[in-house]
Amino acid sequence: MKVNNNISLRLKRTVLTLLMAGSLLRCAPPDTGVTIGISFETLQTEYWVASIEAIKAACEDNNIQYLEAVANGDANRQFEQVNNFISRGVDGIVIAPKDAHTIIPVIKAANRAHIPIVIYNRLPAQNQGDYVTVVADNYEITKRTVRNMCELAKASGQTYQAMILIGDLGDINAVNRRKGFNDAIAEYPEVIELVAEVPTEWNQEKALAGVTNALQANPDINFIFSSSDFLFPSLVSALKNADKYHPIGHEKHVLLGGFDGDATAYQMLVNGYLDADGVQDVYYECAAAVQAILKKQQGEPVDELIIDPGFVIHQDNLDERADKMWGANISTPTP
Amino acid sequence: MKTDISQAGNKLLDHSTIVLFSIILITFSVLSPQFFSLQNFINVLIQASSLAIVATGMTFVLLTAGIDLSVGSIMFVAGVVSGKMVDSGTSLGVACLVVVGVGIGYGLLNAIFIYRFKVIPFIVTLATLYVGRGFGLYLSDTRAINLPENFLSIGSARLLGIPFPIIVLGVVVTVAHLVLTRTVFGRQVYAVGNHAEKARKAGLKVNRILLSVYVICGCCAAIGGLVAMAQLGAISPSFGSQSEFMAIAAAVLGGTSLFGGKGQVFPGTLIGAITIQALQSGLVIVNADPYLYPLITGSVIFLIVLIDSFRHKEQIRRRRIKKVA
Repeated sequence: MKVNNNISLRLKRTVLTLLMAGSLLRCAPPDTGVTIGISFETLQTEYWVASIEAIKAACEDNNIQYLEAVANGDANRQFEQVNNFISRGVDGIVIAPKDAHTIIPVIKAANRAHIPIVIYNRLPAQNQGDYVTVVADNYEITKRTVRNMCELAKASGQTYQAMILIGDLGDINAVNRRKGFNDAIAEYPEVIELVAEVPTEWNQEKALAGVTNALQANPDINFIFSSSDFLFPSLVSALKNADKYHPIGHEKHVLLGGFDGDATAYQMLVNGYLDADGVQDVYYECAAAVQAILKKQQGEPVDELIIDPGFVIHQDNLDERADKMWGANISTPTP
Repeated sequence: MKTDISQAGNKLLDHSTIVLFSIILITFSVLSPQFFSLQNFINVLIQASSLAIVATGMTFVLLTAGIDLSVGSIMFVAGVVSGKMVDSGTSLGVACLVVVGVGIGYGLLNAIFIYRFKVIPFIVTLATLYVGRGFGLYLSDTRAINLPENFLSIGSARLLGIPFPIIVLGVVVTVAHLVLTRTVFGRQVYAVGNHAEKARKAGLKVNRILLSVYVICGCCAAIGGLVAMAQLGAISPSFGSQSEFMAIAAAVLGGTSLFGGKGQVFPGTLIGAITIQALQSGLVIVNADPYLYPLITGSVIFLIVLIDSFRHKEQIRRRRIKKVA
């Protein structure tokens, strides 16, 4: 009886061990044996930090090892960092480049070494290289966001004087956002008049000075689009100084829109100061970038251009879309 | 006749700052009447205050033929430290003192490497630029720090109707001007910049003077950062980025030589900073094509360096003539 019990116990243990091993095998992704190099031009905004974290998380989900490097805005250094990745024999490279042109030699270097390369978030200039680009549709997302603002303007029955905060004009995303803005307001000539374009070079101090000057020259500005949410603190500060920062519904409210979907924008939406925001789906883009490397590794076909359609978040769909807005998962004090 | 033209050219070089400032003022006033208004002048002064304060510290360093590329990082580190402190409930006064302390400490660090380990200022401050920015990013977790409302209220506060940033600017420029023109230390700074070896032979403690100018520069950078923060109400990860170049440009535009020994804070550097800000303000007010901004700003900075080079050549020529005489 005791022997039988022992056998039964051993059998149970064996079955249990096999089951646990089986469940572990099911839970853990297969070891791909793949190492990728992640190179970012900068980590100087929340967007880039959220992106690199999402790429690392996607790597971990797929049991991929990774090396990471940040070039601090220096295209030459980024090129050297990628060469280091190549020397170390990585199986793929995901790179957020400094700009559309300096990425071309990087693509060539990766191609020469037969290493798959995915360009994240910035579309390279025309070239013959073999690469995959994962990018938000900056033009369309901006256009849809600004259209939403224009519809609000039209519904109010008033006319509006508009201002746009432009990013670095060497950045193709900034150029496309400006184009999207201009094309959207061109559809509403009877409602919107563009009176100021403020170049910021993605610099908050320049944005503050520029907006203050533009408000000085055009005190009736009541429609503002910021090409990046990270410029909102400067914009809000200038609006407060001009007594123009008021919630939606207030008679002095300035129609505000932005692009990115960061934590500040989320808080401004929640607090009723921001009318609309174009959101880049960071999680979708990062997962797609890592998947593209894996597919390329396995010789599967991959689209050369993977577009993130993004979405527009506004007061009417805030509750419904907030969980998809990456900034909603980060806490930042309200500006 | 040739001598007259040469003299006129020299005078033009000596007063190039005022000439450039006048050209900008007249051009934009003609293009837009809103540019030539009291309110816009106050705006320009407020916006230039941070840059002018940082450039004031830079002037001290440039006068000794040195350079400090780390001022933007000083602004950033001091800003992040104070922002974190205020965020966690520290009083505003203490945070402001800490800002100044960080600036002085950073300047001291630069100075120690320069005079103790004899590393050239360009290399030392380039290294501390990157170290400081990295440290600030680490402290802030690469996240924007939005400052509480009371911090922002300092930036928009007024004393006897004068905006706070202009008051701070006035105090810093006045003190710096008096130090350079009315004290022994000021004269020693010029002496070291003119010829460090001769100054050493004359019994001046050159190392101590060098240490002092980098500490002053660090302190001014921190105060400049504080003024900018109080206006922005936030510290982004790019806060202070490239401020070093604008500060150098403002000082050189104001007549301070990159070769040392020549320059002044008032009116020189102050006018230099105001000129740069007036240029930016004018371009926005006339709603210039955004692609023109870097072209125009770049051309002005190129012009400044060119003028400095001519001034320096002229300075050497005059010294030679004196020697021969």
